[in-house]
Amino acid sequence: METSMYRSSHRKIALCLSIVPGLGQLYNRQYVKGAFFLILAISYYIVFADLLDIGLWGIVTLGEVIGRDHSIFLLVEGILAVIILVFGLGVYAFNLYDAYKNGQQRDLGLNISSLREQYHVLIDSGFPYLMISPGFILLVFVVVFPIIFVVLLAFTNYDLYHSPPAKLVDWVGFQNFIDLVKLDLWRKTFVNVLAWTIVWTFGATTLQIALGIFLAIIVNQKDLKGKAIIRTIFILPWAVPAFVSILIFSGMFNESFGVINKTILASLGIDPIDWMTDPFWTKVALILIQSWLGFPFIFAMTTGVLQAIPDELYEAAIVDGATAWQKFTKITLPLVLYAVAPILITQYTFNFNNFNIIYLFNGGGPAVSGQNAGATDILISWIYRLTMTSAQYSKAAAITLLLSLVVVSVALWQFRKTKSFKEEDMM
Amino acid sequence: MKKAVSIFSSLALMAGVLAGCGPDKDTTEPKTNEKNTTTTENGMPPKPEKLVVWEDVKRGVALEPAIKAFEQKYGIKVEYKEVEMATKQRDQLRLDGPAGTGPDVITVPHDQIGQLVTEGLIREITVDQSVLDTFTESSLKAETYNGKLYGLPKAVETPVFIYNKKLMDKAPATMDELYQFSKEFTKGDKYGFLALWDNFYFAHGIIAGMGGYVFKDNNGTLDPKDIGLNNDGAVQGTEYIQKWYKELFPKGIIGENGGSTMDGLFNEGKVASVMNGPWAFQGMRDAGIDIGVAPMPTLPNGEHVKTFMGVKGWHVSAFSKNPEWATKLIEFLTNEENAKKRFELTREIPPVKSLINDPLIANDEGAKAVAVQSQYAVPMPNIPEMAEVWGPMATALQLVANQKTEPKKALDEAVKTIKTNIETNHPSK
Repeated sequence: METSMYRSSHRKIALCLSIVPGLGQLYNRQYVKGAFFLILAISYYIVFADLLDIGLWGIVTLGEVIGRDHSIFLLVEGILAVIILVFGLGVYAFNLYDAYKNGQQRDLGLNISSLREQYHVLIDSGFPYLMISPGFILLVFVVVFPIIFVVLLAFTNYDLYHSPPAKLVDWVGFQNFIDLVKLDLWRKTFVNVLAWTIVWTFGATTLQIALGIFLAIIVNQKDLKGKAIIRTIFILPWAVPAFVSILIFSGMFNESFGVINKTILASLGIDPIDWMTDPFWTKVALILIQSWLGFPFIFAMTTGVLQAIPDELYEAAIVDGATAWQKFTKITLPLVLYAVAPILITQYTFNFNNFNIIYLFNGGGPAVSGQNAGATDILISWIYRLTMTSAQYSKAAAITLLLSLVVVSVALWQFRKTKSFKEEDMM
Repeated sequence: MKKAVSIFSSLALMAGVLAGCGPDKDTTEPKTNEKNTTTTENGMPPKPEKLVVWEDVKRGVALEPAIKAFEQKYGIKVEYKEVEMATKQRDQLRLDGPAGTGPDVITVPHDQIGQLVTEGLIREITVDQSVLDTFTESSLKAETYNGKLYGLPKAVETPVFIYNKKLMDKAPATMDELYQFSKEFTKGDKYGFLALWDNFYFAHGIIAGMGGYVFKDNNGTLDPKDIGLNNDGAVQGTEYIQKWYKELFPKGIIGENGGSTMDGLFNEGKVASVMNGPWAFQGMRDAGIDIGVAPMPTLPNGEHVKTFMGVKGWHVSAFSKNPEWATKLIEFLTNEENAKKRFELTREIPPVKSLINDPLIANDEGAKAVAVQSQYAVPMPNIPEMAEVWGPMATALQLVANQKTEPKKALDEAVKTIKTNIETNHPSK
């Protein structure tokens, strides 16, 4: 039945010939295109043959001879080779598909489009792709490449005692992840650090968002005088580089000499608090500082949204006899959250990985016994410790992988839940 | 059917490509030192065109005259580049070395030697006994790892006793005297003596002076399995540290930022004396403090404070193509004449025996104090296992300084953590 539609079998012949790129197109009498594919294939082979050769061998073996082979360099070359190979195979697949499609057209007795027609088709339907492709290729090397590197590193035994050039690195499968669960010290630290990371993320971020929105709504009241000055002052914490503020705060929170214990609390008649040496108070201080650092951004953004809400909505609400609270919960808050939700999510993920404040405020301290991370170390600062002090590169990569899993899944879930990404219009 | 064939054939093609992968086995065999077969007189290989040295930042001034003299004497051009010593030289050598663009000679703090050797970044050197004899024994020990010499020392540093001459007439001879002085002097925001003893680098002096040790030293080889940080001496030392924190030290100098707090107080003239390293001198003088420097006072048990000594050394990169000449160069850089010049230009104290009693050093109060103190000092362990000691010991000392835990308990806990960490991170070789 099926074959009767076709008058000949050009499509199959073209497909088979295209195993050598371009031949199928030549067979279909598309000479320019055929020559293009052929030249592309030959130059691809000439340029990348060496890289593919060493790279693919390297990523599988990670080197065989100590001294000659540098495992980490081989891993990098291997990833490059795989990326190049994927690009190459993509073009190759397109070449096969193209030969088959045009052969099919001939089989059906249709005319094959001329070079000019093909050019127009390419420009008309493929234009966006054509424009994206340079950026996309760059993205693959700048973003995707390092991610693949970290992922692969998590499955090796790369640490101080398996460091090239003195030693070779080997693939060890899931050993790093097994160790994280099985070895007491690792498990205990991991659980504690993860718990605090989550508390920190939700505590600090929620507080800074609540504060930002609250202040924005207060300042946006119609009869308030001097809005410009108040807004400027509220934006100030954002204008000062965060690391400067954190270092100053770290001095202010000093237990014996800091202005907070010595002046502010003393004048209120409160005993000095162990801001730096008691884990609980260090955590409180960190969350307070992050709220201070983080609210201006939310404040600025919410202010913008508030000014865009049309007055008619409130006028209609007043006509309907709504109370101030009802206006807030039914009009202001939904509209604000609707507009800023995606950015709020990024605030959570930002704090999840907020290395600066943890590292600069108290270096992850104070110390606690029985674990190899400080009391306020979050995952990212712990990873830093592991790489810098213990040279546990593969373990750090494994934890990084787990960390990104958390971030990515939370982000995905929230992005999908937010209506902002589904509907195009606000109202 | 055709599809299956084409898929199969393409798979076969790929397998074929993969099987042929890898470097050609015969062409890339590591070349056996062909060059060395043609040696010139006195057993040295032919002279290279140039040698490249990485020097610490702002220390190039001391290197310039030395390499000029070397160029004149041997006719080998020497280039140098300033690369930050604490971490950058190591990190950059990891990349530049295998790439073939690295230096012949680098300089690193000696406590990185174990790590660098394990990673295969620096090579063992052989020098004549007559050259070795010019250096102090402890500084050579610092440059030795697993019984092999990996570099020559260029400078030593160790914490000393620094006092404000306005507030203290002369340095006390014993810690007991210092304690009495401090008892009387410490009032309000004035302090008689401050030290960062929650940091193991500084606390080690007290702990080791009382009988503790980090790793047992078996004739030049450190045993990472024998840790003496919770023995009786270490506990006594830590109890002594706790006493100071309880009675005299403010809480504000505990923790990561304690150092800057202490420096600030000293520079404001509120502290009579501190324990700090020679790197702090300049900042104190810049702040307008008239400082006096002395070796640390002796401990209540009559022992000297056994401070940690840091040694900066010259090392030959494992990627150097001319290790013999690179070794020659570092011998030249550390000889008496060049070491003296280095001291004049950078105030770094060379561990060269003949220079310690040289008037140049003996008349410099700071340099003399460091030189004398380094005779009692212990080189920081240079085995990679040391990386696991800092964290847990800082934990223990912080807990003790905050009066949260008894010294014995804190140290037992720390040693347990150190041992676990060494087992997990440093499986026995």
